[in-house]
Amino acid sequence: MPGAGPGGGLEIMINFVGRGRDAIDYIVDEGSFEENLCGGETLDPEWAESAVVGSATLSGETVTVIANDAGIANPRFRMVYAGLMGLEEGFKMAHAVYLTIKADKDKPLAEKRPIILVVDTPGMSPGKVEEIIGIYKSTGAYQLASAEARRAGHPIVAMVVGRAISGGFLCHGLQADRILALSDEFGTMVHVMPLVGIARVTKINIMLLEELSEGNPVFASGVSHFYNLGGVDEIIESVADMRPRVKAQIDEIRRLKAAGEYDKVGPWSRLMSGIKRGGRKTSEKVIELMEEEFNLALSSWLGGEDDGFTP
Amino acid sequence: MDDRWNLLQNQPFSRLNARERAYAICNPESFTELLGPRLKLTSPHLPPMGQTPQFDDGVVVGLGTVGKAPAVVVSQESKFLGGGVGEAHGTKMVMAIRLALRGQEILESRSKSSESRGRVAVVISFDTGGVRLQEANAGLLAHSEVMDAFQAARGKVPIIGIVGGTVGCFGGMGFVAASVDVLIMSDVGRLGLTGPGVIEEVVGTEEFDAANRALVWRTTGGRHRFITRDADFIVEDTMKAFREKVAEVASWPIEKIASKRIIGTGEMVLEQMRLVDLAANDRIQDSWDLWRQFGNEDIEYLWDSNVSEFEANARRWPRGRVGDND
Repeated sequence: MPGAGPGGGLEIMINFVGRGRDAIDYIVDEGSFEENLCGGETLDPEWAESAVVGSATLSGETVTVIANDAGIANPRFRMVYAGLMGLEEGFKMAHAVYLTIKADKDKPLAEKRPIILVVDTPGMSPGKVEEIIGIYKSTGAYQLASAEARRAGHPIVAMVVGRAISGGFLCHGLQADRILALSDEFGTMVHVMPLVGIARVTKINIMLLEELSEGNPVFASGVSHFYNLGGVDEIIESVADMRPRVKAQIDEIRRLKAAGEYDKVGPWSRLMSGIKRGGRKTSEKVIELMEEEFNLALSSWLGGEDDGFTP
Repeated sequence: MDDRWNLLQNQPFSRLNARERAYAICNPESFTELLGPRLKLTSPHLPPMGQTPQFDDGVVVGLGTVGKAPAVVVSQESKFLGGGVGEAHGTKMVMAIRLALRGQEILESRSKSSESRGRVAVVISFDTGGVRLQEANAGLLAHSEVMDAFQAARGKVPIIGIVGGTVGCFGGMGFVAASVDVLIMSDVGRLGLTGPGVIEEVVGTEEFDAANRALVWRTTGGRHRFITRDADFIVEDTMKAFREKVAEVASWPIEKIASKRIIGTGEMVLEQMRLVDLAANDRIQDSWDLWRQFGNEDIEYLWDSNVSEFEANARRWPRGRVGDND
């Protein structure tokens, strides 16, 4: 709990940065997590150990959990350490999602098991062998699997407990139905690049960037900036709130999916929130104008109603 | 006949700008731009940073026909902020895919037989380093929106990717390009997640010497991506070569198009893990080590040969699937 520490004015903050595995127990039913058990199949415990996948229960219901343990390196790939996700890690997480889809493929919508993502990663491994093999496939595979599971009815909730940075966040988090993040006081970091990095690469004065970032969430680091852009759906102010809020979001996602409202969950819904919260300045106009011009061009593009399409 | 279109066909694809590529990838006189520069929709985020915005925000989107298929075309402009994806740029891409799906639904709702209705295709010409740092957060989120739209298009509207520009396709757009149905590259095109310059900067020159152009190209270039089957086709660097290949692919049945995907199913994940296994424990130091494992012996010859000789003689990763060893 923020600020709730022993006496003497000493405040002890729980901080999950680098401790994705430890955070699991604060989100699902305590002690219920069974690692490497996924949709009824057991995975090789030595496969990409920093990619933590398995099953747990939340309020007694079976859920799939996917987390990232920054304390474990991959002995087979040098560039997988300190939370960086590599080739095997992305594919393993994708595999866990596909096993989840398969396990519930004959179940009705209301019984598709939730997938909970515990997010703490500084990014994808920047290595030469990763580029030779094509690490873009590993992260891409996991994103496509997540989008498929989400569209198949599985509620996916991402809980950002530490770092949600750039390509790592895209890989592990941004395909969820809903994204929750612990507030900045917990050391949570959400960004593409710190301001100093942006200043260096773009050659824009850091003082100017700092000043602009106060009024514009579009480039600067921070949970609240992402909230204003729609990229974070809900900010969580205490560790004890994580479990009930994740559960409440799962219920809400199920309700929306049962009503066929798939555009009210997932990435598109966050684009809409970003417009509503005022963080996105041009997206609404882009959508409006493209719709308008598309409708005007439609009959010459596809032919009239009775013509069929004739190139 | 359309003189401008004819002139563009014989130009190097890599030398053309985004609008020329979009226009010339379609049949003559068939391209209509959506939200073009006439509407002057620019990024409001850039001027306060002292950066001049562009009227199309670095991406050209429009409707046209490729071969016999109605198409939605997306073409990124690398000369504007390295093709970086900002807010408007990203939303334009997402909308392009959503509108392609809507077009397909309209065609399907018509009463004619399925053959005469045609089928909409999406064509994306990538030329980008990924997220535009000046609008980094919005650019990042746009990548997730595009990936979701891709998944929504699965089995309905094929997505054909092209990588043949001078920047290539890096950053988050690297996995977007890997998630298309069919990917076409040239020798000029490069594809990756972390660009060589970034690897050198964050890890060191001993990990990747970004100044070594030959190393950069044999690691990320079209020939290597063709050998590992991340690129389905390698074509000459001409507008015509890209256009003819796109038109051919757009005419295929949807099942054949889906068979070219490299990720997007549980089986493909396990298949890719076999490729990853080959590289574990530092067994692969260079892309050419991998080429040798697939049975390529005279690597220098392959590297120096022209595109058609390379295509005919290169031995590609067998993928481990029966009937896909062509």
